[in-house]
Amino acid sequence: MKKLAPDARPRSRRIGAMLIIEGLVLIVILLSVPLFEATTTVYTKKSANTFVGDEKYQTVKTEVEAAVAEYEAFGEVALDESVTLRDKSDGTQSSMVTFTASTQGRFTGWQLIGSGVPAGRLLLLLLALSCLAVALAFLQSPVSQGMAVGLAIVALLIPPVFSMSITRFFTREIGTVLSGARQADIAGQLAMADRLLYNGKAGDAVKGLLSGMDFRCTLSMWLLLPGAFLLLCGALRMQNAQLSHALGRGCLYAFVIALSVLILYPYYVMFITALRSPAETTDMYFLHILPVEWKWGNFQDIVRRNVLTYLGNSLLLSFGATLISLLCGIPAAYAMARMRFKGKKAFLGFVIMSQMFSPVVLLVGISQLMITLKLNDSVMGLMLINAAFNQAFAIWLLRGTFVSISSEMEQAACIDGCSVVGALIRVLLPMAAPGIVTTLIFVFINAWNEYTISTVLISTASKKPITVGITQFSSFNMIEWHYLFASALLATIPVVILFMLIEKHLVSGLTSGGVKG
Amino acid sequence: MNTILVRKKWVPYLWLLPSIILMTVFVVFPILIVFRLSFSEISRAGVVGGFAGFSNFVAAFNDKAFGIVMQNTAVWVVSVVGISTVLGFIIAMALNTEFFGRKIARSIVIFPWATSLVIQASVWNYIIKYEYGNLNNVLLNMGLIKNAVNWRLTYQIEFAWECGVGIFVTIPFVTFCVLSGLQSIDAAYYEAATVDGAGFWKKLRHVTLPLVRPSLTVSTVLNIIYVFNSFPIVYTITKGAPANKTDTMVTLLYMRAFYDQQKGTATALSVIGFVILCIVAGVYMMVSMRKEEDL
Repeated sequence: MKKLAPDARPRSRRIGAMLIIEGLVLIVILLSVPLFEATTTVYTKKSANTFVGDEKYQTVKTEVEAAVAEYEAFGEVALDESVTLRDKSDGTQSSMVTFTASTQGRFTGWQLIGSGVPAGRLLLLLLALSCLAVALAFLQSPVSQGMAVGLAIVALLIPPVFSMSITRFFTREIGTVLSGARQADIAGQLAMADRLLYNGKAGDAVKGLLSGMDFRCTLSMWLLLPGAFLLLCGALRMQNAQLSHALGRGCLYAFVIALSVLILYPYYVMFITALRSPAETTDMYFLHILPVEWKWGNFQDIVRRNVLTYLGNSLLLSFGATLISLLCGIPAAYAMARMRFKGKKAFLGFVIMSQMFSPVVLLVGISQLMITLKLNDSVMGLMLINAAFNQAFAIWLLRGTFVSISSEMEQAACIDGCSVVGALIRVLLPMAAPGIVTTLIFVFINAWNEYTISTVLISTASKKPITVGITQFSSFNMIEWHYLFASALLATIPVVILFMLIEKHLVSGLTSGGVKG
Repeated sequence: MNTILVRKKWVPYLWLLPSIILMTVFVVFPILIVFRLSFSEISRAGVVGGFAGFSNFVAAFNDKAFGIVMQNTAVWVVSVVGISTVLGFIIAMALNTEFFGRKIARSIVIFPWATSLVIQASVWNYIIKYEYGNLNNVLLNMGLIKNAVNWRLTYQIEFAWECGVGIFVTIPFVTFCVLSGLQSIDAAYYEAATVDGAGFWKKLRHVTLPLVRPSLTVSTVLNIIYVFNSFPIVYTITKGAPANKTDTMVTLLYMRAFYDQQKGTATALSVIGFVILCIVAGVYMMVSMRKEEDL
């Protein structure tokens, strides 16, 4: 990264100081602007056959004003009149006057912060972030300037969250309870709303007022300004190359974070649903992102419903499949990597082709074969099928690993009187350990996650692997989501961890074994 | 050469023997059985009778769900493989750049790959439920929607969700295949391109794409096969309902074989699917291999 030219420094420092002051002033001004507007219709009166200014109008207006006066205690009340004129058939006109009284309020950021409504905290955060970003941008090091840009991007993200948060507060936390859709204690929220909207004077009347409320976040878009301004500051403080670099980084991080959130979302759902009570899992009006009560007992319940047996079956099945697959695959891969013989290409073609024969298309054939071999409804049969259909991948990965290792050591071992098998076991296998572990874990996970063949072949409940076992929680008309996801969680966590272990080797294994084949 | 001398000619075949036996018994035999059954009479109870010519195939073609299922299968394979390849490529490009937290990001991206499809599908099935699904819950809580949205209004939308889940679970595989290709590219190519004044897009088109094509080929071929054979997603989310309108070929095959007791139709479908797979994979491999030779 380029450093600022020495003669540019005093000027840029002056500009920096100016920008800081302007930025802070901007934020203070923004928070003093009414961001939020709430209107509640408290009183409506229609007066028919009334013309503006006539006697009836005066009487009704006095009446209305008297009625409205009691609401004035809570805040400013605006009285609206609307006149509806209609031509009658005899040529005269009729007129109707509608009086609408509404409490109106506009509220600044400071009031919002003071009232304790959750969204106010976000404004405080915005303020703090801005100050921090300004301070960072003022430092000379490029790292701190990059961080300033990062903070500015975060500052840009706050206004939408703010808008959501305040909407949520009024419509979901308060609105659903007032409309009777949900039961909860919202005394605290009501007090906050009262403090914000009616200066804490409404007291018990606040419920009625809020249920007729129409609110808008009028100016929250302007909250984007500090972020944009900070970004601009940061940009001005940087050279061109630095700027595009920082922007690129910003986009990259935004992308990666969004992606991670999306990918982790189903796992989050699985996790929190596994710990909920059955009522909570199917409650539409259920408000909490996290379980109200963490039901760790769900795990005890599923253990009582044989989930451990299923896990055991899966474990046995996967170990067996892996073992068979490696026992058959290692010699084959060794021959493919180290020996010359006729039909080598044909065998490789066969291996590649067998990759394409998925067990699912062959379901009928497999079930028929297993019945003939008397292997249906047994874990052993599943083991063999899984091993066979993972052979191709195993040979591919292993062969790639063996080819990448020089045969000199084995040749030396052979000269020393070691047999070929001895050389393989004592020399090659230890050196090929990473590749073997990768293959092992890969086959293991494939067998662990296999579902279709097991559904078809296994009918005895006590022999089911976990992927089939969890379907007992979802019958035709009722799904016990909390149990389903609790068992799914148990089935998922170990293999995800295993998979992360081989991630690095898998990448190289896939290409060395696959592409160059 | 990196080879070991073996004296007797039959020795290499001995080494291959276990693997060949395993694959012959459990891969080749089922294929033969399926082919034989597809030309045999099969009673409702599953008793195999004599030679039946093409009657099973006729029954399969005349199956009232056949048309829509073929259409669904085409949409399913093309959309899932196509979109996940593009997205996976973009993600791999992003993960190939150095940044803070890259290791964590890569571990996260691998999650869907390591999770059983039936579990992923169950979770998404819950997420998009209308009455109590988590998506509605989250959006309502954020204040983004005022009322619960029915995310599965029609079967077309449900099928689109299934494709979405398919894409979601396929992306990691593509990402990691492309990533391995990207990592093997020598940085010198990019330096040379930079010296020649190539921008980001030119580098992508003339350096990155040609060099990751082998990885992309492998991932695409395997994906076509995996996605075509993917059973749990459709089976868990809609079970093909209503009236097979969201079925793909493999779920229809399963239903006909093990629910409706029409084994004849099912085996014919198996053979059709098998032939389609062989053709697609064969054509794709030939084309991509020729392209590689051109390079």
